[in-house]
Amino acid sequence: MATQSHKLFTQDGNEYREFTDAEYAQHAIDKIAYDAWIAEQAAKAVAKQAVLDRLGITADEAALLLG
Amino acid sequence: MPNEQTSVPLFVANTVLTASQQNLSAGTGVPVFATTVTRDAAFGGSNKALAEGQLCYLSSTNVVQYYDGAAWATVGPSSAGGLVFLSGTTFSAASTVSLPTNTFTATYQNYLISFNVTAASVDSSVISVRLRASGTDSSAASYSNAGVTYQIGASTIGAANILGDTAWKFTQFNSADRNEVVLTVFSPQAALDTNFVWDTYGRVGGSQGGGHGNGEFRAATQFDSLTLFPSSGTITGNYQVYGYAIA
Repeated sequence: MATQSHKLFTQDGNEYREFTDAEYAQHAIDKIAYDAWIAEQAAKAVAKQAVLDRLGITADEAALLLG
Repeated sequence: MPNEQTSVPLFVANTVLTASQQNLSAGTGVPVFATTVTRDAAFGGSNKALAEGQLCYLSSTNVVQYYDGAAWATVGPSSAGGLVFLSGTTFSAASTVSLPTNTFTATYQNYLISFNVTAASVDSSVISVRLRASGTDSSAASYSNAGVTYQIGASTIGAANILGDTAWKFTQFNSADRNEVVLTVFSPQAALDTNFVWDTYGRVGGSQGGGHGNGEFRAATQFDSLTLFPSSGTITGNYQVYGYAIA
């Protein structure tokens, strides 16, 4: 079993067990992808707010324009 | 079979009751016949007349029947319903939740899976699913899904689309409320693309909401299970899996 600072567990059928090495490795890959997605969402939110600020309108007002 | 009989004797005055007849009567209670043909032949004529309330057991189909005065009807076992319960369990503080190996078999073509997540440790973690074979999730870049998302109390309708990802990804878990994930999975056991339809309730863009959509795993891989997991944190709850009866 890989040394983990924070152990992870799975409900595998009727068995509750710690992740296998392969599952820890996949989780690490997934976490990198998830962190990148979070950063992308945050960057989009910042960019969206910057546009709204330039236009001087709120998000609700923008939705009205687009609706 | 030793209990099967070919006649239902009608005893009259001075009729000899043999030991074998008495043993058969005492040993079975309900007359046992090989088939409906031998059953029908056993009544009438010099035998007991068939009348309403008569019971029988048929060896050929393993059912108990009663005669309603006009026809035979089956008492049981009752036939399975349209949805057949396959498995279910509770889970607590799990980073991933996998259905038992060999949940998907050749017995059924399509499956209904209901996850009830009563607690999620991380708010807005993405609801994700991977198909599984022989105890190992597939993280092939073959997962695609599309759908609409809704926020309660808002008119916003969004989209949840992925293409060629390493898992199906829908809306998000709500750490402050219960979450529901319902999947209908089509032909996961067949050597075909695995298609599915999803419905969720939880978080959408930080608000309470859910979504609906569909998707596929584009490869002819045969799967026997799947895994639900949040993109971060753990989940607690329960699930039930049903097979759609084919006939």
